Amino acid sequence: MVPLGHYLFLSAVLFAVGTVGVFLRRNVITVLLSIEVMLNAVNLAFIAFGRFQGSVHGQVIMFFVVTVAAAEAAVGLALAIALFRHRESLNPDAFTSLKW
Amino acid sequence: MLLFLLAAAVAVAASLAVVLGRNPMHSVLLLIVSFAALAALYIGLDAPFAAVVQIIIYAGAIMVLFLFVVMLLNAHREDEGTGGAALGGRPLAAGAALAIVLAAELAWAVLRTRRAGGSWMGAGPESDGTALQSVRTLGGVLYSEYSLAFEVTSLLIIVAMVGAVVLARRES
Amino acid sequence: MIPLYVAQVGVVVAVFVMLLLAAAVMVYSERKVAGAIQQRYGPYLVGPKGALQPFADVIKLILKEPLRPVAADRVLYYVAPLLSATAAFAAFAVVPFGAETTLFGLIEEPIRLQVADVNVAVLVIFAITSISVYGIVLAGWSSNSKYSLLGALRSASQMISYELSYGVSLASVLIIAGSLSLTEIVDAQQGAWLGVLPRWNVFVQPVGFLVFMIAGVAETNRAPFDLPEAEQELVAGYHTEYSSTPFMMFFLAEYINMVTAAAVAANLFLGGWHGPFLPESLGWIWFLAKTGAILFFYIWMRWTLPRLRYDQLMQFGWKVLLPVAALNLILTAAGVITVGR
Repeated sequence: MVPLGHYLFLSAVLFAVGTVGVFLRRNVITVLLSIEVMLNAVNLAFIAFGRFQGSVHGQVIMFFVVTVAAAEAAVGLALAIALFRHRESLNPDAFTSLKW
Repeated sequence: MLLFLLAAAVAVAASLAVVLGRNPMHSVLLLIVSFAALAALYIGLDAPFAAVVQIIIYAGAIMVLFLFVVMLLNAHREDEGTGGAALGGRPLAAGAALAIVLAAELAWAVLRTRRAGGSWMGAGPESDGTALQSVRTLGGVLYSEYSLAFEVTSLLIIVAMVGAVVLARRES
Repeated sequence: MIPLYVAQVGVVVAVFVMLLLAAAVMVYSERKVAGAIQQRYGPYLVGPKGALQPFADVIKLILKEPLRPVAADRVLYYVAPLLSATAAFAAFAVVPFGAETTLFGLIEEPIRLQVADVNVAVLVIFAITSISVYGIVLAGWSSNSKYSLLGALRSASQMISYELSYGVSLASVLIIAGSLSLTEIVDAQQGAWLGVLPRWNVFVQPVGFLVFMIAGVAETNRAPFDLPEAEQELVAGYHTEYSSTPFMMFFLAEYINMVTAAAVAANLFLGGWHGPFLPESLGWIWFLAKTGAILFFYIWMRWTLPRLRYDQLMQFGWKVLLPVAALNLILTAAGVITVGR
């Protein structure tokens, strides 16, 4: 069986990739996708921990993360649509003024 | 082990492509590939239910939402001007450095914990995971210990739904 | 004696070939039944009574020129039909279609007539169905054509909406059976009440069965819910721009999805391979008969009912079907708690 460290390392790499996406990308939708990558990295860590501790709690927390991710995606995408209507752009730098 | 390496490679490659890709449509689809690889890992971790949930909810519902929005906003004109990977030069280098530092830091944390020899670290591999596969056990825990959190989550979903409708509605 | 693994590979190959054949039989019977309903002959030229028509169709489609619109997304345009066909085949992998058998004494240990016995089989089918949406959405988007895009959008929102009712009506069966394994659900329906009435879930869950069937029709994009390919409005919907082999894959996927939906309904509600008169070893005859009956019902509906309007479809799904399914689920749960299984 694969040791726990491998899973945690993979999780760390995925999380880092997601973080880079959030910082680097200039497109609201890709930023949201990067956040999903990060959430999934965390899910993997939770499930791996749960498995190696012999409890189902890791899986339970994964469900909550998925639910919150669904809520986050719904609101985030609604925001993206609303912003796009105002500025005809998905670049977060276009939304710097508080009033339009 | 082979399954792990394969799935891990696919997950990392797909995630990288998601982050670096120029076409949001392709990004969304590659993210689904990455989810599928993670689902395979969950099966290896004796969590078949989590794997199926990953596909049904993440790939089947949340990503369709993304796809819808990408189609709605017409993805073709994304990433023009100051767009994404076109950043190049210093920002990209800074980001890459940031990623490496973060990954190294996390890896260091993992390795240090292992060297310290937490008791649960080595306990897992030999133990039998079949008990964890039971959906019945999972449901039991979810609806007893976590019942309050469960109900609150349903509230969160309703709030998010109303919020999304209000935000995306065209002002008349 | 044949070794076990050979027998298992044999089952896999047999399922693959049977699905292809089932699609061919479905195409033929669809046209024949349509002909009968509309008082005409249907296909009658190729082979005896036109029985070889589907094969002629396949040859025709393969020989046609494959076209790709200039502005289409080069990769996704071909990934979409592949995804559709793969998902359609994969979904059947977890569907059991017969009791354990030794294949007339050919092998020592009995094997299941099923490609893979998974303990969350019901959810696996659900997961693969939710993936098959992508085949359609991608086809619509990558063709870069307005008809395709509209068809794909309709199809995706329709499938997502009806998946809820589908899942909720399925959950009430799961509560009664107390298992997520299709084999266990089928085996729980063995025997008969008072020696007459078979213990099929349809008699305990008539409302659930009705909702499941309606949602199943919508999930497979069949008439009267075939809005995604409504000819009068959208030419052919999401596969307007496809021709030749890619088109054939969509066509194949559509019919195999129907067969899978019918097989799952037969397993969940009609007792699968259990039934009176026949011994256990011939249970697959019952299974085929039940699946066939449901498929005939699909065809019958398509040529009898007019298509709904899009807003009617959505209204029906969210305001009628889902509440009914949810109410049914609550009543079932209450019933199981008070009376027991």
